[in-house]
Amino acid sequence: MPRIVGIDLGTTNSLVAIIENGTPRVIPGADGNNLVPSVVYFEEGGNVLVGNPARAKMIEKPKNTIFSIKRFMGKGLADVRDDLALLPFEVAPSSDSILRLKIFGREYTPPQISSFILRELKRNAEAALGEEIVNAVITVPAYFNDAQRQATKDAGRIAGLDVLRIVNEPTAASLAYGLQERRQGIIAVYDFGGGTFDISILKLSEGIFEVLSTNGDTHLGGDDIDEQLIRFVLADLKLTENTPALPAIRAAARKTKEDLSSAETAELAVETLAYRRPITRAEFDELIDPIVERTLKSCRLALQDAGLQPNSVDEVVMVGGSTRIPLVRSRVQAVFGRVPHTDLNPDEVVALGAAVQADILAGGKRDMLLLDVTPLSLGIETMGGVMSKIIPRNSTIPASASERFTTFVDGQTNVKVHVLQGERELVQDCRSLAQFDLKGIPPMPAGLPLIEVKFLIDADGILSVSAQEQRTGQYQSVAVKPTYGLTDDEVERMILDSFEHAETDIEAREVIEARNEAERVLRATAKSLERTEFSQLPEEEQDGITMAADHLRDAVKVPDHRAIREATERLDQATHHLAEIIMNATIAEKLKDKRVREVE
Amino acid sequence: MNYFEVFGLPRLLSLDLKALEKTFHELSRKYHPDYFTTAPAEERQRALQMTAALNDAYRTLKHPVRRVEHLLEIEGFKPDGSKVPKSFLMEVFEINEQLEEVKAGSASKEQIAALRREIQERAQSFDQQLQLAADEWDKVSASGPANPTDEQKKRQLSRLTEILSESSYIRNLQRELEETS
Repeated sequence: MPRIVGIDLGTTNSLVAIIENGTPRVIPGADGNNLVPSVVYFEEGGNVLVGNPARAKMIEKPKNTIFSIKRFMGKGLADVRDDLALLPFEVAPSSDSILRLKIFGREYTPPQISSFILRELKRNAEAALGEEIVNAVITVPAYFNDAQRQATKDAGRIAGLDVLRIVNEPTAASLAYGLQERRQGIIAVYDFGGGTFDISILKLSEGIFEVLSTNGDTHLGGDDIDEQLIRFVLADLKLTENTPALPAIRAAARKTKEDLSSAETAELAVETLAYRRPITRAEFDELIDPIVERTLKSCRLALQDAGLQPNSVDEVVMVGGSTRIPLVRSRVQAVFGRVPHTDLNPDEVVALGAAVQADILAGGKRDMLLLDVTPLSLGIETMGGVMSKIIPRNSTIPASASERFTTFVDGQTNVKVHVLQGERELVQDCRSLAQFDLKGIPPMPAGLPLIEVKFLIDADGILSVSAQEQRTGQYQSVAVKPTYGLTDDEVERMILDSFEHAETDIEAREVIEARNEAERVLRATAKSLERTEFSQLPEEEQDGITMAADHLRDAVKVPDHRAIREATERLDQATHHLAEIIMNATIAEKLKDKRVREVE
Repeated sequence: MNYFEVFGLPRLLSLDLKALEKTFHELSRKYHPDYFTTAPAEERQRALQMTAALNDAYRTLKHPVRRVEHLLEIEGFKPDGSKVPKSFLMEVFEINEQLEEVKAGSASKEQIAALRREIQERAQSFDQQLQLAADEWDKVSASGPANPTDEQKKRQLSRLTEILSESSYIRNLQRELEETS
């Protein structure tokens, strides 16, 4: 079995981890850091930077430095309009059910932007392990819906990865925790990250990690806390969201937030605006209290769904950078009535758990098994715009359900099916997942055909549909058009695009480097042509040099790095003898100077 | 699909939940797709189907109401709302009126608490009735006369259907109240 890596594709940071001798470890990036910031910087001309070098561009080049792209995965333009108000990105006019960002005239969907981050992690793993990596397990928030999960899988495919499993982040964390602590009983994983919040309640017994319930909010995280501080500064300075100082204010907000995790007072300082304001932890707590309260509400719902009282939870495990906030810790402690477990590195534990799951898939650990659930109820639209649930939330996955459909009109050959996810009664309050037509139904009197449609949620939490007409036994073609996702064809095209992109990137960089080298050699040659040593050379050799120089000057005009390098090499050869003579003469002159000076 | 068969169980309504969980874990270890990542596509697909069926069966059987619903389904019985007695419907109607008041915001805290108590008592009473009828079914099917007549079986199934139909009204009211308050 080829190696499988575990990837935590986070809102703020991403990590890649592997199992080595039964223990998971994170593979650091080229700069030695375990955390690769989930930031992608696009240079004009197609070059792309990922991670810390990209993060360094956030203030200087806000329009083409994309961060927190995870919040847009599987989302339509209407879903994210509010977020975009505080973000400097340019939205392509073609955005509809899929958001598209416009960067230097090219359009990028969130899976494409995420694929740059994944490719960076892939490269880091390949460099560290000295082998090609194609298989991966990628984590997502437990509360991610079908479209968000599918978008993550698409990102993997575009990055050239075979995504063998999508794992829920809190569950992955429980694997790393369980491996380390070898505990049994009920644990609650409180996962508060940069962009999302999850709570999962699990039962651990003899290597089986059974999720009892999960709840959360895929749009609630450290970014929202930053936003509170940003709005606080904007109000203080009477600025609007459109201020060009926004990236600087965001950076200041993040720093203040982090400072307040250990200090009682911190300073909110935006240098470019000459703004300084001390802020106490009490003030900060008041600002973020509504956000923390929302996470607690999810905790109570998860407990209720698991049929448990808070005191039946044996351990609360804290995951995600936002759990460093003292208010978060104290409020979680109050809800569960116990001190939460904060020994694990909240930034790394999800990636480590992903590596454990990767090892299970690779056949390494047969004693451990993860039984996860679907976070949202799956249903279909019925008469009167009502959502009829067919797989309830918190069902262990894989899960399936069958539903029978029939016709309303004599001879009807098509039946429309609308699939939804959510907990609300009415279709309009649920998330549309897909629509499809059952086609080719044999013409019969109304109500006579019986089409059995099977809905299957796989271990990734992703839905597939198959259908069979009961009277004829005929399988129906079911082409599911995702409401908020890319079709297979679109993903394929993006994979091709990414190759082209990657190749033109490398090609362009090679040409630039070859030209730079050629210019350097031409400049040096021009200088030596002015020297007396040149005129003392045999005529044949002089001609050889000027011809080689002319040839190179022509070559650099064409963007062919091989031809440029070849011509450069020829000029270098032609001037080799001359360079030697000049070098000797220079040394002789220097020595002469020295002697003269010594005499003086 | 008969979910009792998935667990190798007879069609009885009283279940040892601990034993059910144990079998669920054992079968999961046998069929879970996680252990078939490297297997050929057909085997992978089979693991997926088997595990989905196992999970569907476990989800259904561990829940007392879903378990009865499933039994009725495989016995070819459908919960029939038309059989609900008029007197019961009147009671439901009354509770519903109080619920509307809660929704409109014109009910006091005490009234809401009283309503919640009333609904809860009714729900509990249905749980008890369901338990009794379930025990009767088990007696008739398992330890009753060597071959229970179709007539006896049918009577028990009708009784279960009735209880489910009536209790579904109460459960809906309960859910609505929780969602409003």
